[in-house]
Amino acid sequence: MMLSTSMLDRSIQELESRSLARIASAKTREDLEAARVEALGRKGGLNQFSKEMGKLPPEERKRIGALLNAAKQNLEAAIEARERTFAEAALNVRLDAEWLDLTLPAPGPRRGHLHPITRIQRELEELFSSLGFAVLDGPEVETEYHNFDALNIPPDHPARDMQDTFWLESGNLLRTHTSPVQVRGMERFGPPLRMIAPGRVFRNESVDASHEHTFYQLEGMMIDRDVSVAHLIYFMKTLLAAIFKRDVTVRLRPGYFPFVEPGFELDIQCLICGGSGCPVCKQSGWVELLPCGLVHPNVLRMSNIDPEQWNGFAFGLGLTRLAMMRYGIDDIRQLQGGDLRFLEQF
Amino acid sequence: MKFSYNWLRELVDGLDTAPAALEKLITMKTAECEGIEATGALLETACAARVESVEPIADSHNVKAVVDAGRYGRKTVVCGAPNCRPDVISAYVPVGKKVIHDVESDGMLASGAELGINRDHSGILELESQVGAPIAGCLPDHVIEIDNKSITHRPDLWGHEGMAREVAAILGRKLKNPVRTDLLPSGAASIAVEIKDLDLCPRYSALVFENVSIQPSPLWLQRRMITIGLNPINNIVDMTNYVMAELAQPMHAFDADLLKGGTIFVRRAHPGEHFRALNFEEYTLDPSNLVIADASGAIALAGVIGGLDTAIGGTTTRVVLESANFQASSIRKTSAVIKLRTDASMRFEKAQDPANTTRAIARAIELLQELSPGIRISGGVADRKRDVPPPPPIALPLAWLDRKLGRKVPAAEVREILDRLEFGVAEPAPGVLSVSVPSWRATKDISIKDDLVEEVGRMVGYDSVTPQPPLVAAAPPPRNLARAFQHEVRAVFVDQGFTEVYDYSFISEGAARRFGFDPANHVRVTNPIASDQELMRASLLPGIWHNILENAKHKDAFRLFEIGLEIHKRYDDGLPDEVPHLVAAIYDRQGRERLDGAVGLFEIKRAAECLMPHARVCPAAAAPYEHPARAADVMWRGERVGRMFELHPSLIESGRAALLDLDLRRVEVLSGSEVKYAPIRRFPSSAFDLSVIAGLREHASKLEDSIAQFAGPLVESIEFLRQYSGAPLAEGQKSVSFRVTLGSADRTLSSEEVSLIRARIIDGMRGMGYELRV
Ligand SMILES: [Zn+2]
Repeated sequence: MMLSTSMLDRSIQELESRSLARIASAKTREDLEAARVEALGRKGGLNQFSKEMGKLPPEERKRIGALLNAAKQNLEAAIEARERTFAEAALNVRLDAEWLDLTLPAPGPRRGHLHPITRIQRELEELFSSLGFAVLDGPEVETEYHNFDALNIPPDHPARDMQDTFWLESGNLLRTHTSPVQVRGMERFGPPLRMIAPGRVFRNESVDASHEHTFYQLEGMMIDRDVSVAHLIYFMKTLLAAIFKRDVTVRLRPGYFPFVEPGFELDIQCLICGGSGCPVCKQSGWVELLPCGLVHPNVLRMSNIDPEQWNGFAFGLGLTRLAMMRYGIDDIRQLQGGDLRFLEQF
Repeated sequence: MKFSYNWLRELVDGLDTAPAALEKLITMKTAECEGIEATGALLETACAARVESVEPIADSHNVKAVVDAGRYGRKTVVCGAPNCRPDVISAYVPVGKKVIHDVESDGMLASGAELGINRDHSGILELESQVGAPIAGCLPDHVIEIDNKSITHRPDLWGHEGMAREVAAILGRKLKNPVRTDLLPSGAASIAVEIKDLDLCPRYSALVFENVSIQPSPLWLQRRMITIGLNPINNIVDMTNYVMAELAQPMHAFDADLLKGGTIFVRRAHPGEHFRALNFEEYTLDPSNLVIADASGAIALAGVIGGLDTAIGGTTTRVVLESANFQASSIRKTSAVIKLRTDASMRFEKAQDPANTTRAIARAIELLQELSPGIRISGGVADRKRDVPPPPPIALPLAWLDRKLGRKVPAAEVREILDRLEFGVAEPAPGVLSVSVPSWRATKDISIKDDLVEEVGRMVGYDSVTPQPPLVAAAPPPRNLARAFQHEVRAVFVDQGFTEVYDYSFISEGAARRFGFDPANHVRVTNPIASDQELMRASLLPGIWHNILENAKHKDAFRLFEIGLEIHKRYDDGLPDEVPHLVAAIYDRQGRERLDGAVGLFEIKRAAECLMPHARVCPAAAAPYEHPARAADVMWRGERVGRMFELHPSLIESGRAALLDLDLRRVEVLSGSEVKYAPIRRFPSSAFDLSVIAGLREHASKLEDSIAQFAGPLVESIEFLRQYSGAPLAEGQKSVSFRVTLGSADRTLSSEEVSLIRARIIDGMRGMGYELRV
C-alpha cells in the first residue's frame, strides 16, 4: 500500500495526539507503560511509520523522519513527566503514612545528676587550678599529729574543744577539718606552694536541720615569699566573685584559729538583703563565710619551712554552707540523705 | 560571755558610743559579738512607792491597792503578791491602765524578777528608799554577748576590765583602774599557804576576813549578777562572781572555822582521794588533779569547784578568800575528766595572769566593806608564788610589719596603737620597735612578732588594706590524677542515667551483720554519736542499700551511684587503708526494666563497659547479700576489679536491684595505658555464622573462648548474635549463634583458608561434645 505523504502526515499527528491523550489519562504505571508500548514500542505506531518511510522519495523521507522524531520526543517527554507525577504522588503517600508523634518521650534513661556538693567542688577545683593551685587529697582518718599538733593545736589546747572529735580505736581520729591536708601538702611539696584540698570532714555533734556530723570543706593555702594580708584579700575576693558570679563586698575581722596569725573571719555582705538586714544574716547585713589568716610560723616550722624565708595564707571554705546558700537548701540533712526527690533537682 | 554596757561605761572614761555602734566596733576589732539585748527596761520609769491601803477583790486572790507613787501621784493598782500590805515600800512602774477583775489598775507594783534585779517571783520588791526615788544602782542596761570561741586565746577578755581596755583603745579613751591596791593589808598573814607544785599553781594568794555577816547582796549587785547571766546568791558569793566578771580572776571563799589546821596546801590529789563538791557530787581523784587541801584533806578541786564541807553558809563569820593562779592545761584536763565546766575552770583554762591575784583581793576588800558592814581584815595577804621573769621584749621591724599587712602603717601610728593596748614600746634602733607585752597578754596570747601584726592590723582596720594580686611564678600545678579520674567516672555514670548520692562513712553493727561482714574487721569509733554509727564503712554497699530501700518508697525505677572511701582495718604508716570505690545500682519495681531483673543487670553491665571497654564478667560464688545465681566478678585487662550482682531477695522486699561495686584505685591504674594506633586493614575480612547447641546454663563467654581458641590467630572478632531455646531443640538445650570474622593484615584470605579454619572450629567444638548448626 502506498500512502500519500499527506495521509502519512495526518496519521502521525493522529497517533501523537491519541498517545498524548492516553499518557495524560494514565492512572497507573501500568496504564502508562501500555501507552508507551503502543506509541513507542518496537511494534508500536511510530515504528510502523518508520518502516514505511523507506518507500518515500529522499526529501520526503527526510521531512517525515524529522516529523517522527519530533513526535517521539514529545511522547517521551510526556511519559517522563507523567512518571514524575506518579513518583511524586507515591512519595507523598509514603511521607504521609510515616506520620510520627514526635511528642512521645525518647526511650532510655534520662541523664543522672551530680551531687550538689560535687558540682560546687568541681567548679572551685577548676577555678583554683586556673590560678595555679594544686588540688590535693588527704585521708579521712587522720593522725592526731596532722589534725591538731602540726596545726599549732597541742593537747589540752582549748581550741580542741571547738572541734568535737570522733576518735577511733586505733588512736586515730576522723579529720575535723581539711586543714591537715595543708600539713601533708607542705611535707610533700615544700615551698613555694599553692594548693587546695576539698573533702569530707567530721564533727561529733548531733544532727538537725542546720548541724551535721559529716560535712564538706575546701582548704586552701599559699606559701611564697612576702605573702601579705593584701594578697589574702585579693584571692578571697576573686574566689567569692567566681562563686557568686558577681562582685561581693567583704570585710575582714579578727578571728581566732591557732594555725594562723593573724587570723580572720571573712564576712560577705548579705546577698539576700544587700546589707540592710534580714533573717538570713540575722539582721546584721553580713554573713560569716570564710575563716582565714596568715599561716602561723609554728605551723611552717613544724613542716620544716623556715618562717623567716617563707610565709603564706590559708583559708577554709565551708562547701556545705556554700551549697546551701547557692541552692537555697534549708535542711543540711538532705545532703547526706540520698533522696532522689532532692538530688534530681541539681 | 556577757558584758554589761553600763559596767563598761564605768571603766571607760567618757564612753558615749551607743551600744549598737560599740558592738560593731568590738566585732570588727576585737571579738565576735553574737548579739545585743536590752535588759531591765522597766527600771527606766520605776520608783519607790508606799502602799497606803489594801482592799480585797471578790472571788480573786488579788487585792486592790492604793499607792503613793511619788511624782506619779496616787495610783490604784491590782496586785497579786502575798506581801502587798499597807505601809510596805515597793517599786511602782507606770505601765499603763488595764482592767483586771473589773478594777482599773493604773500601773503595777513589780517583783524583783519583773524588774530584772533578781529571780524572785514570790512577791513584790520591798525597798527602804524614799517614796518617789528611783531604785538605787539599778538601771536599764544592754548586754553585749561575745562568742566564747572568739576569745579562746584572750584570758583578759573574760572580764569587763579586759573588754573595757579594748574599747578604750578602739575609741582612744582612758581606761579607769577599778582596783585600789593601797587597800591591801601588809604584815603577817593569819593563814599559811604551802604550794607543793609551782608548775601547776604558779601563785596562791589568800586573805582572812572576820566578823562577816552572810546576807543578800544589795539590789545593785543583784542586778549586775542578773545582767551578766548569774544568779544572786549571797553577799560573799556575789562578790567573788563580781570580781571574776570584772577582772577575770576567779575566787573562792572558805568558811575559815571549818578548815582544819592553819595551813592551806596546794597539792596533787592522792590516788583515790575522795572529794565532796559544792554541787553535791562526790569525786574520786587521782594525782593528775590538783587540789586545795587543809590538814584533813581536799577542800577544793583547784580552779574548778569548791568543797561542800568548807562552804560558807548562814552562820559563817570568818572567811578565807582564795585568789590563785593555776596552770591552764591542768585545769582543762581535770575539768574534762570529771565533765564539769565552771565559770572558774573556763577562765583558768585560758591561762590567766598571775599578777592579777592580789588585785582581785584588793577589789574584794573594797566591795566587802560595803557588802558586809563591820567586816574586819585579819592579818596580811598570804601570797606564795613562783617568780617568773617577764618575757623579753619582742623586736618588731616596721618594714616587715608593712610587708605582712600589705600596707604601710606609719611608725607613730604603730606606737600609738600598742601604747593604747598597754604594751611597752621603745625604738632602740630606727625602724625596729622593741615591744614588751603586758602580763595579761603574755601568758599565752602574745609571744612573737606575728602576734603583733594582728594587734596593729585589727586596730588600723583590715578594710584599710587594698587587695593586691601576688607576683608568683607561672607554673602549672601538679595534676591530681586520681581525682580527675573519679570525676570522669562520675561523668560516665551520670550520662548513663545514674544520680550521685553521698552516704555516711559510718555503719551500724547490724548493717554489717546483715551483709555478712564481720564487725571485728571494721575500724571502730570509740565515741560514736549513736550506736548505729559505730563502725567505719569497709564497703559502700550498706549505704546504697539503704538509699535503694528509701527511694523505692517513692519511685518505681531509678539509678544511683556513689564514689566514696572504704576504710579497711589494715594499717600502713599508722593509718587504715582507704580505698576509693564506686557503687552503682539500678532498681526496678517492675515494668519498664521488666520483672525478671535481667535488663537491669545488663544495663549495669553496659554502664561498666562504658567505663571499662571490653570488661568481662566472670560468674563466681555469691556473697550472702548477692543473688546466688546472679553474681559475678568484673574483670578488666586481666584483673579482678569488682563485683556485679543482683541484690539478694532477702534484702529487698519488692522489686529488684542490680549492683556494681568497683575498686576505683585498680580501675584507675588499669585505665592508664596509652592508646597505640594500629593501621586500618587494607584487605577484606571474611565472616561466617555458627550456632552451638549447648546446655541451658552454659556461659556464652565460655563458648566464645573455645571458638576463639580453635579459630587461631587469624580471628578478628567473634560476635554474639542471639540465643534460642525451645522446639525443635531438646529440653535443657539452647542454641547460641556467633559471627566469626577472620582476616589478615597483609593479604586477603583464600576461601580454602577460611573453610579450613571453619572446619577446625567445628571439629574442635564437636570434640568438646557440642553439636553445631552450621
Ligand atoms: Zn541579709
